[in-house]
Amino acid sequence: MTGIRITRVGPLATVQDAGRPGLLRHGISASGPMDHAAFERAGGWLGAAGTAGIEFTTAGIGFVAEGSVSIAVDGGAFELVIDGETKPWPTRALLQAGSVVEVRPGAFGNYGYLRFDREIDVPQLMGSRATSSIAGIGGFSGRALQVGDVVPLGATLRRGRGQHPTATPARNGPIRVVWGIHADRFDNAIRQRFVTDEFVVSPQLDRMGARLADPQRVFAEARILSLVSDAVVPGDIQILGDGTPIVLMRDHQPTGGYPRIATVVSADLDRFAQLRPGTPLRFEAVTVAHAEGLKP
Amino acid sequence: MTDPLRPTLLPLGDRALLIRFADTLSDAANRAAIAFAALAEAAALPGVVEIVPNLVSVLLRYEPGAITFERLAGELRLLTSAPGGATVAGAAHAIAISFDGEDLGDVASQLNLAPAGFIRAHNARSLRVLATGFAPGFVYCGLHPAALVVPRRTVVRRQVPAGTVLFAAGQTAITSTPIPTGWHVIGHTGFRNFDPAAEPPTAVRAGDTIRFEVAT
Repeated sequence: MTGIRITRVGPLATVQDAGRPGLLRHGISASGPMDHAAFERAGGWLGAAGTAGIEFTTAGIGFVAEGSVSIAVDGGAFELVIDGETKPWPTRALLQAGSVVEVRPGAFGNYGYLRFDREIDVPQLMGSRATSSIAGIGGFSGRALQVGDVVPLGATLRRGRGQHPTATPARNGPIRVVWGIHADRFDNAIRQRFVTDEFVVSPQLDRMGARLADPQRVFAEARILSLVSDAVVPGDIQILGDGTPIVLMRDHQPTGGYPRIATVVSADLDRFAQLRPGTPLRFEAVTVAHAEGLKP
Repeated sequence: MTDPLRPTLLPLGDRALLIRFADTLSDAANRAAIAFAALAEAAALPGVVEIVPNLVSVLLRYEPGAITFERLAGELRLLTSAPGGATVAGAAHAIAISFDGEDLGDVASQLNLAPAGFIRAHNARSLRVLATGFAPGFVYCGLHPAALVVPRRTVVRRQVPAGTVLFAAGQTAITSTPIPTGWHVIGHTGFRNFDPAAEPPTAVRAGDTIRFEVAT
């Protein structure tokens, strides 16, 4: 059987695909790649890729090919070595049985993607193979990949016409938001500072959410009321009881009762997901009509 | 407080709209939210890909490019002004509970009841399913009469197992997966409202009624 055997893996590497949207009333958020665009790009380099791929985190991943398989990688900037030879990032490559692949930490990003010219042969659950860390389902029995796991791969897909892998220029600038469903619960002064003061990505980030440090203490004086819970969407910025802002991500809780001051626009959520702990950032408020016209 | 007949429409990001019927939980607001979700589903609005009723609000996710927030909000305002407050006739379920939770005695004494008296009062009437979706298969049922209302615990339990029966804030809730909770644990049930292999994966919907029975 074709597959890859994991020889080294950072925390929270998971099987992902486009996710399982549409199940919020059942208590399940959609999951899917933290950086959707990068996941899509990696598939595009292959032309025809399995719907599922592997999302790995900053520490990277190492594996041995069990059987011949075409792969492509993208997302962030990692260092890639195949059978001792350094490759550019992103890359497409044909691996022979026994090929040794090392994805090492690189200059930028929290999440990278590995796609195959085959489907990852794990069961579909509610229409998807994506791992949900909050529901504990999907992928490898709902868990992160571990050293020794063999990720089984199905038959080769009909060969597609892949594009030549090229690096995507990093975009900078503020993270754009639309005002949230509880923005009116915050004083005007706090709202103003939210879009002028600097926040910093904290080390407490995972697929459920990323906490922000608030060095200017924007929310130190905010009176945080408990609210009737409403549905949550990825990108919602919740202010916790102690004043900590948290940006809810792909494995978000389906509902939330903390006030949400703003929601990161869809076009900037991938970019936000790649910001490493310690990165300073600012928010910029845009209208919904403007956000709807933005391209990721 | 918002008038349930004049709900607030809010953007939730750039791909979803929230329609809120009240700022605080009430039976009327919850009924309005559940009925509106059914009405919006029946209307089959273009570009809408998911409709989710919650305690006092409804989420509508839409396909970018297929409809804009402005247009969807306009369509929904028309729906809210449609005559005749629809009510949802939900399914009826009976759920057996072992009232053996570690907080049962504490809850009963807060209400000046003996445990047996509390159990009788708790099961005296059917409850409506107010909302689902806090966690896989999780259901909120309510509302209990004022005489059966206790606040949440001050201390959060890090994890209670699937099938735990929770009680607080005038509601009884049932877990179907392990979750952390600040609610009182009053019992356990063999009922599981979540089967990832089933279609749909949960059996109980908002608007259904639940009759609780003592497990024998």
